[in-house]
Amino acid sequence: MSQELLTDEIKQQLGGVGPVEIVVGIPSYNNVRTIGRVVQAAQVGLLKYFPERRALIVNSDGGSKDGTRQAVEEANVDSQQVLLVRHALYPVHRLTTPYHGIPGKGSAFRTIFRIAEEVQATACAVVDSDLRSITPEWIDLLLRPVLDLEFDYVAPYYKRHKYDGTITNSIIYPLTSALYGRRIRQPIGGEFGMAARVARHYLGRDVWNTEVAGYGIDIWMTTTAIAEGFKVCQSYLGAKIHDAKDPGADLSTMLVQVVGSVFRLMEDYMAVWPRVAASEAVPLFGFPFEVGLEPVPVNVARMRDSFRQGCRDLTSVYQAFVPQGRLAELTACAALADDVFVLPDELWANLVYDFALAYHRRTLDRGHLVKSLTPLYLGWVASFAGQTAYETGAQVEDRIELLRQVYEQLKPRLIQEWGLEAGEKRSES
Amino acid sequence: MRQFWEWSIQGPLRELAQEALRTLPGLIATVILVALGFIVGWVAKQVVYRLLRVMRFDRLCDRLGISAVIEGLGLARSSSYLAGQVVEGLFVITALLAGLNALPSNISRNLVERFFTYMPHLLAALGVLVLGTLISRFLGRSVLIASVNAHIPSARLLGGLTRFFVLSLTVVAALDELGISRTTIIVAFAILFGGVVTAAAIAFGLGARDLANDVLKTQFHPPPKQETDDSLRHV
Repeated sequence: MSQELLTDEIKQQLGGVGPVEIVVGIPSYNNVRTIGRVVQAAQVGLLKYFPERRALIVNSDGGSKDGTRQAVEEANVDSQQVLLVRHALYPVHRLTTPYHGIPGKGSAFRTIFRIAEEVQATACAVVDSDLRSITPEWIDLLLRPVLDLEFDYVAPYYKRHKYDGTITNSIIYPLTSALYGRRIRQPIGGEFGMAARVARHYLGRDVWNTEVAGYGIDIWMTTTAIAEGFKVCQSYLGAKIHDAKDPGADLSTMLVQVVGSVFRLMEDYMAVWPRVAASEAVPLFGFPFEVGLEPVPVNVARMRDSFRQGCRDLTSVYQAFVPQGRLAELTACAALADDVFVLPDELWANLVYDFALAYHRRTLDRGHLVKSLTPLYLGWVASFAGQTAYETGAQVEDRIELLRQVYEQLKPRLIQEWGLEAGEKRSES
Repeated sequence: MRQFWEWSIQGPLRELAQEALRTLPGLIATVILVALGFIVGWVAKQVVYRLLRVMRFDRLCDRLGISAVIEGLGLARSSSYLAGQVVEGLFVITALLAGLNALPSNISRNLVERFFTYMPHLLAALGVLVLGTLISRFLGRSVLIASVNAHIPSARLLGGLTRFFVLSLTVVAALDELGISRTTIIVAFAILFGGVVTAAAIAFGLGARDLANDVLKTQFHPPPKQETDDSLRHV
């Protein structure tokens, strides 16, 4: 099946390149503003840190119409200015190719992994194309643990603005840590390093026509790596600054793909996560230096209004799977005045577990179910923004750690109710 | 006198007795068949109900939204129980029809024949109703959730209207299948639908003239795109 991913033209080009040790993949879609710099950073990183290894940069493009592919082809590095300590033995090859399959980041990754397999690479790294803070060191930090320390999977660890990556902070990080017992702070970060055997393992899985083809790819890769016992670590990359919005990104679609993937993975690995009692830290490489971050403006009032509307208009939907007591708590939160508006951590974590259970039991159409989480999620973001308005990055991190602990404390309820039939029991906890 | 007695009194009585004797077996058969239908139907209901519970039929109906419809209409305590009741009803109806057919009467036989001719239409109408109800619920919920996520204030109204229109279409289609005043129903539906649309258009035009003006202006002369003040990145 994977054979069909590469056209004869691409195979011919790869034949000209020959075997390579490292593949750096860059998925893209209309990223002309940033991709040139990303390619340059990858190229310099490879020349500077892996001069003795053959390397290939692959841009897997989703049909950009803004000249992204031309930007990749034109992104050249002036080797005089790079000041390399050692002269690179091999040139860094570059390849830009459209991918096939369902439009999305996952499909782009699939093509990159297929190319890595074709050129018999030993390690592969992927980086987002909308990054503005990428440096050549990122390539070293993502690949070194794989090439020299025998790690299988390297997740990124960044400093991000407190309002950046709110799905990660509210659901993905605490839930993944509670479920699988490994604290990977940015499980859907977008930049990853992995051994070739992990990429091959991903390629062989029949998931490429699900949410994994889109935004679900990151959490699927990370969860699979943890749940299937691959050796995982994190690398500190510094600040993550990127273009403000994904082109065409819609919040509820994003939730369906990301949160839907987490819920689906809970079914795939239900023999794994109920056995995990507590979480532990994952090795972190790199030097955690302080960085300045760009402010992220948020419209808290609008998010609060969305939450209130959701609590008012979607009660008929929530009634099917949220216990009465919890619905009453939600209604009480919605009625709070703006200046004291808070969605407590325990209520939020319990709600996420209610959604996970309903997804598992198929209480509703799964698309409807996850989309109906949108206003509640916006309520959490509004509450978080209100509580952390004057807090430093470290204080915000402490708060997110507290949320993770709440998820872990409530996990026994999730395990207990996971095997029950809909309507058999509805906890009021 | 004796001849009169035999001819006028005994004769009709004999004929009546003969007629009664001729009808009685059929009548007894009818009673037995109907009684059997009720007994077998009750047993079948219990078997189907228990079997479906074991097969987690209620869970499947929960997922498809059928349970909510049953609950909403107050039809039965669960989907499995309703299925059992339907099976019981089928047995009883079959027994009644067999009983009617056992009677030596042309009227009852005609009735049975007509029933069987009408049966496919009845089943098709029932199928249309069930399917239409499910589709209306699904589409209504889709519109409701999408509207809430798009911050449309009248989300519930839009969801309800979607359900109403799909259900209306379903009822019209089901009645049409049953052949009940076909032309009248279609004309009534067209008048109702046209009336609602016209009323909405007039209400929008008169009651919300400024809004209509704004909508049309935006449609044909869209303002330049403004950056949102919210650059939150979720993932």
